[in-house]
Amino acid sequence: MVLVCATSLPGSGQKAGETDGATAVRVLEGERVKAQSHNDNQTLDLIFDNAVVYIENGQVISKGDYLLRVKSAKPQQQRIVLETMTVRTVENTAIVVGTYSKTDVQGGNSLLKRWRFVDTWVNKKGSWMLVAAAAVPLSK
Amino acid sequence: MKTLMLVALLASVVTSAGYAQDADSDVEAKILATEHMWGQAYVSKDPKALERILDDAFVNVDSDGILQTKAEVVAEVRTSTVVQFLTESMVVHLHGNTALVTGIFQLKGVDRGKPYAQRERFVDTWFHKNGQWVSIAGLVTRIGQ
Repeated sequence: MVLVCATSLPGSGQKAGETDGATAVRVLEGERVKAQSHNDNQTLDLIFDNAVVYIENGQVISKGDYLLRVKSAKPQQQRIVLETMTVRTVENTAIVVGTYSKTDVQGGNSLLKRWRFVDTWVNKKGSWMLVAAAAVPLSK
Repeated sequence: MKTLMLVALLASVVTSAGYAQDADSDVEAKILATEHMWGQAYVSKDPKALERILDDAFVNVDSDGILQTKAEVVAEVRTSTVVQFLTESMVVHLHGNTALVTGIFQLKGVDRGKPYAQRERFVDTWFHKNGQWVSIAGLVTRIGQ
């Protein structure tokens, strides 16, 4: 049902004053979008913590269900473009807040919707893992 | 008096000598208790409780997608019209010194004489900082949105 295409990424390089951890997480957010766009479940499996809390459309979705959905996605059904992203690290934890637009294509019609998201990453044994991802549609 | 009791209770629950020495269940209980206090702060209009619960760099995304700072959330509590705040289905996911809480809250209030009710899902991120658990991020979404 879901296919994500990254047509632009908001700054995958290190930003001034940003910690190495924040830069790593920023890059991983880009990798995540790329992996989704290519139905690359192996990469997503490495990025997502096994106990990831994934909230979409007000529902909690397990990692298994999410990966299954990405795997069965059909091309051109959905396109996501990251718009803004700020990363803040607190020791081994990173909070990412940003916005993205999502275009659903069905039966020749496309519907654009903008979302604000909050992702939480934790560095486990040297690897940053996505432990929570949630998004809310922007009302304006 | 009620406010003083709440602050004292909050201090005793949130403060910990070290999360590493606590069993996971104890940590979960502390965080859940703090979640309850967070909700009750809206009923008692008690910004002091939130000052302790929320990290200074706390950010929240509400169900309209609006980004809020700690100061904005504290201001919201100060002018709260909530008269009842209940939580359900709360689950704590521990990742060392970081914890995630998912759950659903139901609130009822009266705004300019008009009663209202909301039931929404939330996810909060907590971090063990300087001996206590503080929330560093939150997101609220309409159920089935």
